[in-house]
Amino acid sequence: MDDARLTERHLSTDETKIAAKGVQVYYGDNHAIKDVNVDILDKTVTAFIGPSGCGKSTFLRCLNRMNDTIDIARVEGDIRIDGEDIYDKRVDPVQLRAKVGMVFQKPNPFPKSIYDNVAYGPKIHGLSRNKAELDEIVEKSLRKAALWNEAKDRLQEPGTGLSGGQQQRLCIARAIATSPEVLLMDEPCSALDPIATAQVEELIDELRAQYSVVIVTHSMQQAARVSQRTAFFHLGNLVEYGETGHIFTNPEDPRTESYISGRIG
Amino acid sequence: MTDLTAAAPVPKTSILTQDKRTKRRNAAEARFKAYGLAAVLTGIAALILLMGSILYNGLSSFQQTYISLAVELPAEALDKTGNRDPAEMRSVSTFGYTPLIAAAIEQKMAEAGVQIEGLSARDAGALISKEAPAQLRNYVLANPEVVGTTVTFNLLASGRIDGYYKGRVTMESALLDQNISQAQLQLADAFRDSGTLVTGFNWAFITSPDASDQRPEAAGLGVAILGSLYMMLIVLALALPIGVAASIYLEEFAPKNRWTDLIEVNISNLAAVPSIVYGILGLAIFINFAGLPQSAPIVGGLVLTLMTLPTIIIATRASLKSVPPSIRDAALGVGASKMQAVFHHVLPLAAPGILTGTIIGLAQALGETAPLLLIGMVAFVREFPDAPPEGFFDPASALPVQIYNWTQRSDPAFVERASGAIIVLLIFLLAMNALAIFLRRRFERRW
Amino acid sequence: MPVLWIALTVLALAAVGFLVGRGRALSTAGGDARKLHSLPNYYGWNVALFVLVPSLLTLAAWILIAPTMIEGRVVSLISEEVAADADARNLMMADVRRVAAGLDLAVAQGVMSAEEASDLRAGENDIRGRLAEVGVALGDNVTTAVLAAAQRYRVLSSASSLWMTIAVLGLAGLGFFYAWRRTRPDYRARNVVERSILLLLILCASIAILTTLGIILSMLFETQNFFSQYPWQDFFFSTTWSPNFRGNSDLGILPLLWGTLYISFIALLVSVPIGLFAAIYMSEYAGPRMRSVAKPMIEVLAGIPTIVYGLFALITVGPLLRDYFAQPMGFGQSSSSVMTAGIVMGIMLIPFVSSLSDDIINAVPQTMRDGSLGLGATHSETIRQVVLPAALPGIVGAVLLAASRAIGETMIVVLGAGAAARLDLNPFEAMTTVTVKIVSQLTGDTDFAAPETLVAFALGLTLFVMTLGLNVLALWIVRRYREQYE
Repeated sequence: MDDARLTERHLSTDETKIAAKGVQVYYGDNHAIKDVNVDILDKTVTAFIGPSGCGKSTFLRCLNRMNDTIDIARVEGDIRIDGEDIYDKRVDPVQLRAKVGMVFQKPNPFPKSIYDNVAYGPKIHGLSRNKAELDEIVEKSLRKAALWNEAKDRLQEPGTGLSGGQQQRLCIARAIATSPEVLLMDEPCSALDPIATAQVEELIDELRAQYSVVIVTHSMQQAARVSQRTAFFHLGNLVEYGETGHIFTNPEDPRTESYISGRIG
Repeated sequence: MTDLTAAAPVPKTSILTQDKRTKRRNAAEARFKAYGLAAVLTGIAALILLMGSILYNGLSSFQQTYISLAVELPAEALDKTGNRDPAEMRSVSTFGYTPLIAAAIEQKMAEAGVQIEGLSARDAGALISKEAPAQLRNYVLANPEVVGTTVTFNLLASGRIDGYYKGRVTMESALLDQNISQAQLQLADAFRDSGTLVTGFNWAFITSPDASDQRPEAAGLGVAILGSLYMMLIVLALALPIGVAASIYLEEFAPKNRWTDLIEVNISNLAAVPSIVYGILGLAIFINFAGLPQSAPIVGGLVLTLMTLPTIIIATRASLKSVPPSIRDAALGVGASKMQAVFHHVLPLAAPGILTGTIIGLAQALGETAPLLLIGMVAFVREFPDAPPEGFFDPASALPVQIYNWTQRSDPAFVERASGAIIVLLIFLLAMNALAIFLRRRFERRW
Repeated sequence: MPVLWIALTVLALAAVGFLVGRGRALSTAGGDARKLHSLPNYYGWNVALFVLVPSLLTLAAWILIAPTMIEGRVVSLISEEVAADADARNLMMADVRRVAAGLDLAVAQGVMSAEEASDLRAGENDIRGRLAEVGVALGDNVTTAVLAAAQRYRVLSSASSLWMTIAVLGLAGLGFFYAWRRTRPDYRARNVVERSILLLLILCASIAILTTLGIILSMLFETQNFFSQYPWQDFFFSTTWSPNFRGNSDLGILPLLWGTLYISFIALLVSVPIGLFAAIYMSEYAGPRMRSVAKPMIEVLAGIPTIVYGLFALITVGPLLRDYFAQPMGFGQSSSSVMTAGIVMGIMLIPFVSSLSDDIINAVPQTMRDGSLGLGATHSETIRQVVLPAALPGIVGAVLLAASRAIGETMIVVLGAGAAARLDLNPFEAMTTVTVKIVSQLTGDTDFAAPETLVAFALGLTLFVMTLGLNVLALWIVRRYREQYE
């Protein structure tokens, strides 16, 4: 591990974007998330790590209420974004999700053209007044997702025709296009080859300048490479949360230590 | 909000208040959901309307109006030689019995003291079904010893009288109707008050054969039910083994080549060929070419077999496919031949699915009408077919064709009969589907 | 020996063969089944198969071929002019068969002695009267030629029957002996039996092909007959349909096609939106409880026979439309109409469209929905802009299948659409369809030499080609669609 690189990073902000307190999630009778408290900072990449089935993805899906789409899921506790309770009755999940975008494990471009994929969000949220503005949003988003050069000549071709890594960057572009404030990424690289992974990781690092990024990953190396803060989940509990460098070099909890050294997981 | 650069930060919006656009979008959402619900409800409403219409029109056919009369059976009229020999008594036709009934009615009227103006004896006799003399004659021929005595019969009332008590015929409609007069209806009411006219469950509707145009009250489903039963037996005996054998070959043994591809495409197409085309096939091949008799259950059965095969094959293949390959591997692994693996292990595991598919295929075949019209099953058949196997070649009717037949008759009483026959048909279908569901629930296995 | 008895004898022999074969296999192996190549039962089956297959095949072939051969030889006894004319010959042969069967029956019932029956003379004996005694009614008095032919027919038939018995039983015996001889411990009985079973399976699978062939050939043949009597240009391009059983009919298919397509169009107009929205609601919105109630209820509609829908159209929907729409608005007086049949057919197709669409919508991967919802799209936006476009090919396939159903539907239009062939735009008029006319031309008294009857086969072939085209296209689209998400 490149310790020098880890220490070189410093947090750009201490402003809390999302504050979660006492979060519990139940899937039917299964208690999937047990009393998790976490503060996610703005303009920071936060990584959730842990063995499979530890609840990290479940918790991520609470942050933009994607768990609402699962009939048997039940969420308790208090999650605030900019101080507003996202499980408040008045909150419309649609507005929340426009603010908290999401990128999924498997690239899932819509069966539409590349252009329409990116333009989808701005169109439904009414972010542009005319075609020119929409074109501009699409171009900016694709540029930010580092896909513009590859895609600019084939904007009208189906998004499903791209390679896996390109598809995932397209999905990121699609998420950025709605100008969210938080970007949730659920193992965005698990379906990609190493080269595509490197490109996406580079992209994540750049996105930090504007968004609060939360990334779930099963790869500790990836967490170490891209994140400033890391949370370790185990069996539905948040075991340890802190600066990435600190967690990887000086874990306080023995479970974290075992996981990082490869003894569990 | 269009500027995405970092330099000009996006103004923060609260998620606790809905902006205008979100409100509009949510309204669209609610509308869309309402369309969906409306569609579902429309479907359900159509079902209820359909069932309601059939039940409303048809339930009454299970009730029948009878007139209970004490009929004198004089020996001099029915058995001139006095031998009580049914063979000789056959020489007295139904016309010989009609006056007996008329006399019985007259006597009944006198007993009850009913006086109705403008009602001739002939009109009074018309209260009784034209089928009643035959009813009487059959009884006498079966029991010759009753000749010379007076026996009380529940005789069928005529269709119009029956309709009067089912609301189909009213005093007003009688004015316009040549077949019934208000006086006759008054007599019927008088009989009803005196307990002579009774209503009872109509077993004859299920057991007796069809009747002619003028006697809707006597028309029954007996021949049709038997004919349908015969056809279902033939379909079951042919379609199940052939369908299972074909599926086993296609699913377990067939090499992937053009021939099997052709068979596969064929089967999925055959499942979607209009049923009437099968009727043309049956007419051309089984009747005109092979010379099988018209309106016989054997032809109907063969045509329905061909129609049902694709359904059974598709269901059987699906259930063979759902048996995991590990079972086959396990059998092959202990040295069974492929044939043994299939017949000893895969087939028994797939059996519930095959049975369910077969029952559903049979239910489809039971309700099929169009092909049977073309092979002559519309013929008017009053004779019950013999017992199988000869009976398979005798003329018979079938439930759905009988329904069609009745819809083509002019007397409105046949609408009631047709709807009633549909209820019988639906009960059969319901029973079959319930059995299929039961089998599926009972034996379904998830791997 | 009657056929049934021959068959039973062969079966009995096969049963014996099974036991004997099994026994011999065991005894040659010294009672130790482990020394056999196959299980003892396979040896039994082997013998049984050798008994059954050749003899029963021969029996079947004999039954099929013998009557034609006998008739060929009997016909030569009848005058040449009769033999030359196919219709007259058929009539004459029917008489011959009838007389022959009557005489056989009379002998069997003891009304006539065998000698008496073979010595009858047409002029002297009242054959018609005597046959009537045994219940065989003849239309005419029997002529000498017919009687001679009938006598010849009897002789040949009984000879044929005798030889058939000998041949079939002989083959069964030979098969028995052959298989019995070959039953040795190293004989691969299982392989032989299994190969026969496989052959049987292949035969069964080929029935699908045979059915299609039968459909096509039977219709092609008669259609050709039709076009030899009626010009095909008139059939395909004439706009009048007025069959006339005294000849000179106009048999143009256009009005029938128009009615068919018009009714199908209305049926799709009813069933596609309702079926599609119902499928969307069930698969995307409805909770488990709602689904468990509503889904079976809609599927019940699919299990109801079409005759029920037909009656529904006839007694409920038709009068309803006439009394509340057509008459008040002055569209017509008819209760059977395009609208009646179309609406009822639409109801019939709702479950068809909805269950197909349901499958197709469910095949769209959940990740696609998540992707859209994760961007803040509402549920309906997700469905309309992501799920439906993704499912579109499959839905098009489903609609095509529904259209094919509608075009081929018979009972609803027979009872609901009317019988008048008409080219009209008013949906409240009675019109008729291809299927209705197939039924009306082929039921009742039919004369298979007249174009008025034969036209039904041309109509049937047209219908078959249309639906086949739609089905192939639809199945191809649906299959391509499925592959996309597998």
